[in-house]
Amino acid sequence: MIMMVKENLAMINPNDLTRPDCAVISLKEVTRDYSGHAGKVCALNAASFSIVAGEWVAITGPSGSGKSTLVNMIGCLDRPTQGALMIDGVDVASMSATDLDRFRADKIGFIFQQFHLIPYLSALENVMLAQYFHSMTDEKEARAALERVGLGNRADHLPSELSGGEQQRVCVARALINNPPILLADEPTGNLDEANQKIVAGLLKDLHAQGHTIVMVTHDPEMASLAQRRIALSHGKVFCHPVGGAIVPIR
Amino acid sequence: MFLRLLIESFRRQRRRKILAGIAILLGTTAVTAMLALATTIGDRIQDELAVYGANIVVTPAAEQLDVQVGGIDVRPDSGGATLKESDLKKLRGIFWANNITGVSPQLPVHILGTTSEGETLDVAATGLWFRHSLSNGGPAIVTGAPALHPLWKLTGEWPKETSPTANSADAVIGSALATSKGIHTGDTIQLTPSPQNPGALHSLHVTGIVATGDTVDNQILLPLSTAQSIAGTPDAVKRVEVSARTKPEDSFARKDPDSLSAKQKEIWYCRPYANSIAYQIREAIPGARAEQIRRVEQSQGTVLSRISGLMWLISAAAMLAAAFAVSAAMATAILERQVEIGLMRSLGASKTSIALLFYTESGLLAFITGAIGYIIGSGVAAWVGIKIFGASATPALTDILNPVLLPVIVSLSLLIAIAGSTPAIRRALSMEPSSILRTGA
Ligand SMILES: Nc1ncnc2c1ncn2[C@@H]1O[C@H](COP(=O)(O)OP(=O)(O)OP(=O)(O)O)[C@@H](O)[C@H]1O
Ligand SMILES: [Mg+2]
Repeated sequence: MIMMVKENLAMINPNDLTRPDCAVISLKEVTRDYSGHAGKVCALNAASFSIVAGEWVAITGPSGSGKSTLVNMIGCLDRPTQGALMIDGVDVASMSATDLDRFRADKIGFIFQQFHLIPYLSALENVMLAQYFHSMTDEKEARAALERVGLGNRADHLPSELSGGEQQRVCVARALINNPPILLADEPTGNLDEANQKIVAGLLKDLHAQGHTIVMVTHDPEMASLAQRRIALSHGKVFCHPVGGAIVPIR
Repeated sequence: MFLRLLIESFRRQRRRKILAGIAILLGTTAVTAMLALATTIGDRIQDELAVYGANIVVTPAAEQLDVQVGGIDVRPDSGGATLKESDLKKLRGIFWANNITGVSPQLPVHILGTTSEGETLDVAATGLWFRHSLSNGGPAIVTGAPALHPLWKLTGEWPKETSPTANSADAVIGSALATSKGIHTGDTIQLTPSPQNPGALHSLHVTGIVATGDTVDNQILLPLSTAQSIAGTPDAVKRVEVSARTKPEDSFARKDPDSLSAKQKEIWYCRPYANSIAYQIREAIPGARAEQIRRVEQSQGTVLSRISGLMWLISAAAMLAAAFAVSAAMATAILERQVEIGLMRSLGASKTSIALLFYTESGLLAFITGAIGYIIGSGVAAWVGIKIFGASATPALTDILNPVLLPVIVSLSLLIAIAGSTPAIRRALSMEPSSILRTGA
């Protein structure tokens, strides 16, 4: 897998990034409207772009520009109001709710700004929870995942007994325990100090190096600079990449 | 993992469970108490009411039927067979003697006389015991008609027994008769001499007026001995009302003892059914016919069914209240855990598996609190029972904890918890996980 991704990246030129065979995520005219009592809000407006396997993409934009909306749709927690969303070659808009749950367990790992660890479960159990909903729990594997994020000795602590940075590392361990091809991180370092941000950034670098596709929302220019390219959102619109789907690479 | 989730959520979030737990606990406690009372109150009231009114009537066997119309013996006064008053003490010697709480012999007579106002009297009278001490050598019971008719309202005093040779005797006048003939307490009724009454008795002294609400209101009540001398039949008794504490009738009680095997008959005999007590009375008193009378028991039954109907109604109300309380408590408990639900969804959990988890959790809570509620509720019922019925002794634990109620209460509590948590679970699951996670703390 890693070899294949590297080969891909070496071969393709930036303008070819929408090639269906490379794109692990591809949006075509994806729109998400929220209609509440206060009227209709267009959180995402006709977004079209693709992300290839093994790519690390930063999504940036001001608050309320639709970044979380976009990430949630890629993560199949939300469905587009309009447009086609393909993930790993599958049109998720046409999937049934149960298939979507399964699909999400298999393909997506979430890292949240607020960590969202279950307060009454230990770090280890929080990681095992992801295994449980995916297939079967395997304590050894879960411990190994915690060791990988440097928390081998804190496995039996409750979230409330861990620092923010440690909680986020548990969250990372949980996200990668089922080895999903796509990692979605919505402001993964938003609640962390610089030291912890560095640790998490390091973890993401490792994951990227291992071939995971990473879609990361961030406000932090330093974090954004780690990504291979940036997709900028403003008022629900994707800009900062030429019409036609090609995206301006950062480097 | 499923178990781990459940256990840890209970172990580490005890406080969150308490609200819903208390709601279920209160509900099940109330329902258990009500049901326990509703099921035992029958026996209890039976016991209470059995003290009042007769449930066995003893008549001479030669009389084929106890012919009473509206409480008046319509058979001729004299003639016909009678029982011996002196035999009645044998009631204190039967197997279930201690269950006999009241004995009231009756002798109907006819009275001809004149009131103080000069009105002619031609009325029925009944000779009765008022405060008679009945003993068979052993401890005595003091009994008589007033004890068996607690609803009789007397103004004045009950007659005192006088010697048969005295020329004046005490009497109590029925209220209707007293009104129509203008008789008052303290009046004297002059008796017209009759062939049956050649004796010395010339007059009746009115010691009181009694209101009974039935035909006795038109009668004169006399001491039994006075009636016997008026009728010229010493020691004679026409009819005996017996009040006995009995075990509620069941199908075994209705068996003909003579058709049973010796062993079965023994069992039948040794149970305080009205029938077996009547059987023992027949054995004890020669020439007696003793029958269970159901008239009183039937009215007891009506009272019982009304009271237990009320109990059921209260139980239903308690259950409904509990269901609402549970649903409110569950709503808070589950909405507090929305983020958890959103997270589980993001990990690929289906709605079904999350619903299963939450239902199991509230089911478990219901199971535990239902069992506790059962125990507390049974205790409350026992306590209320003691307060209302003034139990003589502390009831045994096996009487307090009705084993039939446990599964009933636990399944009720499960039902309440599941019904109560459904709206909250449905609501939580219908929320978009994306918006839960966006806003979640
Ligand atoms: N459930 C909803 N109902 C109505 N409007 C919504 C809903 N969720 C989001 N929105 C709106 O959609 C727009 C985009 O929201 P989104 O959360 O995607 O922004 P964001 O870019 O992630 O912002 P931030 O940087 O503050 O996290 C906002 O204007 C928001 O008010
Ligand atoms: Mg956001």
